[in-house]
Amino acid sequence: MSGEDLVLDTAIRDWVLIPLSVVMVLIGVLRYFVSKLMRSYQAPDQKVVRDGQVILRAGHLRAGANFIPPKTFYSRRTYFTNEENGILHVPKGQAQNAQAQMFSDPNMAVDMMKKNLSMIIPQTLTFAWVNFFFSGFVAAKIPFPLTQRFRSMLQNGIDLSTVDVSYVSSRSWYFLNLFGLRGLFSLILGEENATDDAQRMMQMSGFGFDPAKNLSAEKDSIDILQHDWALPKFEKRAEAVLRRIVS
Amino acid sequence: MVGAAEEVHLNRLESQVENGGGGAWEYLCLARKLKVRRSDKVLKFGLPILNDPRARSKLGGEEWTLYEQVAIAAMDCQQIDIAKDCITTLLKRFPGSTRVGRLNGMLSEAKGEFAEAERVYEQILEKNPLDQAIQKRKVAMAKARGDLSAAVELLNKYLEIFMADYDAWRELAEIYVSQQMYKQAAFCYEELILFQPTVPLYHLAYAEVLYTMGGLENLQTAKKYYASTIDLTGGQNTRALYGVCMCAFAISQLAKGRSKEQESADLQSLAAEALLKEYKQRAPDKVAILTATLRGMKLIS
Repeated sequence: MSGEDLVLDTAIRDWVLIPLSVVMVLIGVLRYFVSKLMRSYQAPDQKVVRDGQVILRAGHLRAGANFIPPKTFYSRRTYFTNEENGILHVPKGQAQNAQAQMFSDPNMAVDMMKKNLSMIIPQTLTFAWVNFFFSGFVAAKIPFPLTQRFRSMLQNGIDLSTVDVSYVSSRSWYFLNLFGLRGLFSLILGEENATDDAQRMMQMSGFGFDPAKNLSAEKDSIDILQHDWALPKFEKRAEAVLRRIVS
Repeated sequence: MVGAAEEVHLNRLESQVENGGGGAWEYLCLARKLKVRRSDKVLKFGLPILNDPRARSKLGGEEWTLYEQVAIAAMDCQQIDIAKDCITTLLKRFPGSTRVGRLNGMLSEAKGEFAEAERVYEQILEKNPLDQAIQKRKVAMAKARGDLSAAVELLNKYLEIFMADYDAWRELAEIYVSQQMYKQAAFCYEELILFQPTVPLYHLAYAEVLYTMGGLENLQTAKKYYASTIDLTGGQNTRALYGVCMCAFAISQLAKGRSKEQESADLQSLAAEALLKEYKQRAPDKVAILTATLRGMKLIS
């Protein structure tokens, strides 16, 4: 490794570094608008909405059970959990798993494909474009030294172990832009823009959600609930409060 | 519900804007966040912003929210023309939007054209049958037309699906009380107590419904809920103090002659004393009436 610096041509800055960044930004903006166009409004399913609400209400029943009279509590418990038509009771066999439901609903599959396509196609194209025109040379230099471990990150596409790590290859510059522009996008496109890939990944992983399982879990915890009416205690407490006021 | 601190803040902002101190936009944002109904002020402060293109463009995307807010305020003040202008602008910007469609329906409502509003709402519901705001509008409309049984029916249908919407439960409870359907109202208040067990207002309302229904068991339960209201409010609620006294009196009347379980008489006499103390402090001229009443109920000697 020699002590002298590599001098980068200013033409590289003008014709590689800046165009690459500008193109990445423009593609990001374009993707945002295209995905906005393709986004289809999906009406929520009545059953799914209702299940969510049932679970919420059952949770409140569980938390506040001791504050209502015993009779009313038991009638509610029957309403929620009885084996014939309790609203938390899921008949056997009807508990289809979410995976199957997803495949049986073509809309959902199409929607996911659209999302994926709008993510993958532009990325493949830009990567091919960068590879074709700008592969294999140094495009920039970062103003601080780095350790060898960063070589694979910053000098992707150049197989030289003698170049100082602070030099950035053009392909690496592409990757840095790809992942680093999110902040800029949220600045110019508003907070919740569609280009946020990380968020999309999170959504995808949420697909394992199974409402039937939640319902029966809630049913079990209501079934074992002990009712201990809290109100009789309140009479004593109220007496104490009033004594303090009167005296 | 608006907390006391927020209300103070809102009132301070209001007088600040009123006296030319600026901050109109902050006031409008706060009013929207707290969902308070001060339509005259919202209209008065919001309209100048909308009429001033420079101030308007400064808001960016919030501009359209302001249009909506001012439109609703204008309807509330029967300034139909202003509301119409706002909605036309919104419609130009968001054609086919459900939210603007709702405003259109509300405009018809404000003009008293209920059939037309009904048609608009039905159209929206056809596209999206689970639109909560529209379903609530329909309930409000039924109520405005005085058709309370229809309102009850609509609310029940709504709660069938959105059963965790406690504002709707509350509305239903109040309608039931006004219709003297106390059993149903009691059920709704039970739901509300389950939802927020520490809000004394629900305990008080539940106790009142139970007391109205009467019967020994209900009265005893009502007394317990009045007691919990006293505990939760720290004895500051006069209505609950009265409630305990009334329940105790009614129970003693009903249980007369029967093998009555000896209940502690402490609570009601303490409540009576607390009432007397409060009246002596705040309304000394009415103490005599109160004393007579309580003596009649044999709560003080």
